[in-house]
Amino acid sequence: MTVPTNMQKDPAALVTALEAAEARLRSIMQTVPDAMIIIDERGRIESLSTTAERLFGYSMDEVAGKNIKLLMPTPHREQHDNYLKRYLTTGERRIIGIGRVVVGQRKDGTTFPMHLTIGELRSANKHYFTGFIRDLTDQQVTESRLKELQSEVTHMSRFTALGEMASTLAHEINQPLTAIANYLKGCQRLLERIDGEPALVLHDAVSKAADQALRAGDIIRRLREFVARGEGERRVESLPKLIEDASTLALIGVKENGIAVSFRLDPAAALVLADRIQIQQVLVNLIRNAMETMIESGSRRELEIGTVANADETVEVRVSDTGAGLAPEVAAHLFQPFVTTKRKGMGLGLSICRTIVEAHGGRIWVDSRPSGGTIFRFTLRTAPIDEEPARAG
Amino acid sequence: MARTAGTVLIVDDDAAVRSSLKFALEVEGLSVRLYDGPTALLADRDLPLCGCLVVDYRMPGLDGLQLVDTLRARNVTLPVILIAGRANKQLRRVAAKSGISYVLEKPLSDGALMESIRSALASYG
Ligand SMILES: Nc1ncnc2c1ncn2[C@@H]1O[C@H](COP(=O)(O)OP(=O)(O)OP(=O)(O)O)[C@@H](O)[C@H]1O
Ligand SMILES: [Mg+2]
Repeated sequence: MTVPTNMQKDPAALVTALEAAEARLRSIMQTVPDAMIIIDERGRIESLSTTAERLFGYSMDEVAGKNIKLLMPTPHREQHDNYLKRYLTTGERRIIGIGRVVVGQRKDGTTFPMHLTIGELRSANKHYFTGFIRDLTDQQVTESRLKELQSEVTHMSRFTALGEMASTLAHEINQPLTAIANYLKGCQRLLERIDGEPALVLHDAVSKAADQALRAGDIIRRLREFVARGEGERRVESLPKLIEDASTLALIGVKENGIAVSFRLDPAAALVLADRIQIQQVLVNLIRNAMETMIESGSRRELEIGTVANADETVEVRVSDTGAGLAPEVAAHLFQPFVTTKRKGMGLGLSICRTIVEAHGGRIWVDSRPSGGTIFRFTLRTAPIDEEPARAG
Repeated sequence: MARTAGTVLIVDDDAAVRSSLKFALEVEGLSVRLYDGPTALLADRDLPLCGCLVVDYRMPGLDGLQLVDTLRARNVTLPVILIAGRANKQLRRVAAKSGISYVLEKPLSDGALMESIRSALASYG
């Protein structure tokens, strides 16, 4: 708002020029896409851009001349006048020209995160401050979404690890139980063919023993059903989104480890029928393993996540690394629980992967890379195109 | 007891389960051959024409389904009873595709295996 000097002597021209300048300012405030607020040196609102009106829920008329502290929550609301005074007396900049993330308060009392940059404007003997505001709501949403994802997946992975141990236990106990039941069954049949009192008594005892073996089997069956509750729901999911979410989770902190990550996603591999959280666990486990081997061994640290659509209504997902490759002692028992070469490993990651992938009707297997490193691959069923995403399948 | 026609071929990597099955089935008058895994079965070049297979699903190396697929590719058409730790719909679907007639869950409930074996062998008359 500079007033040309040759007009300063003519009051009428001056007024016209001021009016014109004000009109210009008004039109700027109405059209700038940013939320912008101008206050005077006592903190009174001079003007509000249209975007700022929308952001805070106040109209220009409602707040014109009111103290800017209206737009911030406690404790800044009480302190703001002091902030201004301090700056005007000391000239010490705490936010002016620097920019900071602060919290704003809307008319309805709700608050939101925003980035605030303040500029200073001196004209004649007046002193103004201009605030430029960027709404950070969406970015914070992204962060809390990440936290949410993380807790979902870690909660589920605890549940799955428990389930994996329970079903391993169930399998191990089932074997001797099956053998016991078979032997007893044979004994019963033999005893039926022998005459006499002792044979009858024996037959009775053996069948009672068989009942107990079946009872133990029932307990195992119930344990397994309990674990199966975690089997989850199949829905139509976007595979690229699944991969993006899972790798975000798994790759936290990757930059510091110097691992280069690349994605090769087949556009034809778009929709899959899957339990989102479970497949994310598979991906997180595979990516973590890949990172762990590369951090251990690698000079080259390249992680690639890729997809390919197959002809038979399946997609193949692969996670490949440039790590040390499989240790010979684990290669033969890979995907079985409690197989690990890591001091702190539980050896559950891959067995969980197999359980989940097979429950989805897919396969999981491993190839070694000719150039060094390992490729884990698994398949998933594609969703028919006409099915809408996120409907129970 | 009269011998039933046909041999029951048992493929299971657990020795105790294997021999207990042999005992229980022989008492029932069936003839039984044991294999400790897919490799042993595939190495047997003299499979009977009349009989049935009892295959454990989860074994190291080839799993039960892969074993059956390999056999089918060799034109071995013996009926198969698959025994799985957990037989969900998915597994039953895939098993049916490989031409597996019976999928049983562990632990085997009373009589289920015997019934399946008898009806598998009955197809030979
Ligand atoms: N990408 C890989 N490269 C080389 N070896 C691997 C790779 N992934 C897995 N392995 C080997 O397989 C073993 C089993 O992996 P798995 O994920 O099941 O368990 P873990 O990583 O040791 O422990 P957990 O995942 O339970 O923390 C590992 O200890 C490792 O030796
Ligand atoms: Mg792991």
